[in-house]
Amino acid sequence: MSAAIAARRSDLERAQARAAYLFVAPSLALYAVFVLAPVVVTFILSFSYYDPMAGSRWVGLDNFTRFFTDDRSQQIFWNTLRFTFFAVAGNVTVGLLLALALNRAMPAYLLYLFRLAYFLPVIIAAAFVSIVWGYFYGDDLGVINYYLIRLGFTPVHWLTSSHNAMMSIIIMDVWKNAGFFMVIFIAALQGVPKTLMEAAIMDGASYWRRFFRIVLPWISPVVFFAIVYASIGALQVFESIVILTRGGPGDSTRSMSLYIVEEAFDSFEIGYAASVAVVMTLVILVITSLQLIASRLWVRY
Amino acid sequence: MQTRAAQRWNDRAILLVMAVLGVVMLLPFAWLFSMSFRSMADAYKMPPSFLPPSLDFKNYRAVLDSSIPFVQIYANSVEIAVIVTIGQLVTCTLAAFAFARLKFPGRESLFFVMLVGLMFPAQVTIIPIYLGFAQVGLLNRPIGLALMYLTSSFGVFLVRQFMLSQPKALEEAALMDGAGYFKIFTRISLPQLRPALSALGIITFTQTWNYYFQARVLLEPQDSMTLPIAMDLLRGYLNSGNLAMVMAAMSMAVLPVILLFLIAQKLVIEGVTMSGIKN
Repeated sequence: MSAAIAARRSDLERAQARAAYLFVAPSLALYAVFVLAPVVVTFILSFSYYDPMAGSRWVGLDNFTRFFTDDRSQQIFWNTLRFTFFAVAGNVTVGLLLALALNRAMPAYLLYLFRLAYFLPVIIAAAFVSIVWGYFYGDDLGVINYYLIRLGFTPVHWLTSSHNAMMSIIIMDVWKNAGFFMVIFIAALQGVPKTLMEAAIMDGASYWRRFFRIVLPWISPVVFFAIVYASIGALQVFESIVILTRGGPGDSTRSMSLYIVEEAFDSFEIGYAASVAVVMTLVILVITSLQLIASRLWVRY
Repeated sequence: MQTRAAQRWNDRAILLVMAVLGVVMLLPFAWLFSMSFRSMADAYKMPPSFLPPSLDFKNYRAVLDSSIPFVQIYANSVEIAVIVTIGQLVTCTLAAFAFARLKFPGRESLFFVMLVGLMFPAQVTIIPIYLGFAQVGLLNRPIGLALMYLTSSFGVFLVRQFMLSQPKALEEAALMDGAGYFKIFTRISLPQLRPALSALGIITFTQTWNYYFQARVLLEPQDSMTLPIAMDLLRGYLNSGNLAMVMAAMSMAVLPVILLFLIAQKLVIEGVTMSGIKN
């Protein structure tokens, strides 16, 4: 009797497993072909000199050595990290400030308008908004410089000076993406327990004291997530740079993504470009695991 | 301790600042649309317009009549975005159903393997895909780009999370009655998934409409391009294209996403940020 039930049960289990594999098959197959396999091939390519005519050969760590010793690629590597640091800091800070400002009672139509204004740049392609900002940042015919001159200031070389260009791109990036983090932080702020806040108000704690002692610790997991998410995006920065400066002046704004495309598809240095892509992936991996470790250590009270 | 009246004035002052800042945020878009209605002769005249000087669509016609195959490029963008959106809705929902509702050996590890995909940037897959596409004749064809994105780790994750938050009693009861798995999926699970599917659909459409890196590498000839790449082409080398015409093309290019956002603002925002909150 019990054996019969057990047999029927395992039949059911096997049928369910068979069905399950069919359900996941399309996704898994596409994922294997378009993500997993290419990642593995890129890793292999990064250790080789790729030459389809004369035959490719294994070069060990040569590509990586070249990347980490060459002055130009070092500048590009640091450009990317610098952009990432400032863009992430700007986006997360501005997003949090906007969220704190908007996290209060207001009529529904006002909320709609605020979300419209702050979130619209998030969903419009970076390629499109960069073209607009390109005209805003122009030297002589630029919109911003026109108003600066009208107000009696000296015009700024937003994109044509190697000193300013990176900051100009970062400013645009914060304008474009801060709204995304604002929305995430608003949702997180609404999870802060009302009773805790009211008790603190009763105790006479000031706004910023409440913020640093209660609110920030409470939403810290979301802040960590935001930092990692923003970093993964910022490390890949591509179209805003391509459109605003094409990596210049000189190499002052060239990012790893631009470098990968130029090396792989203009110079056909496939193996070397693959090693740059691997370095980028490893940086992402390190940042992600740091977050995992940090979120384990950080105890929410 | 603040009085209630003081608190109310404080709230109002902050909202006023936010309103002014909100207008500043929108200035680039106001400029974009307004400049598309300038006559080409006046395109570079200062001061710039932030309100349309006229409602003459001749710059729009000029874009359509230009030497760049704008209609074909627009059609490519639509084709890729539609195929990818439908593809992801199907593949991600199927996989999410299995991960959320069915028991099978290797479920956890397979799901983990899919999640790892969230960490791989397009930069680390693009070179082999380019070489592979060159071999099988998918290079410079919009359908190639669409194929790359027929499924996504994010989509599977999003739909699975949503399913886990729903009660599964109905599905279990149907299983007891001996209903087939596919029937349970289509009759019981799918109708419950509407909010998650509209969110995923909107995010996927927007994201695909905006792809740049992949499109720039894989689609080189003008008639295979997508809109984000074509804008750079229209703008011309060293901004030699006419500003008014470029902005007319831009207005047409951003229109679908802006309309989607105006109509379904809540869904777009929920969808785009869903991953962030659930994590």
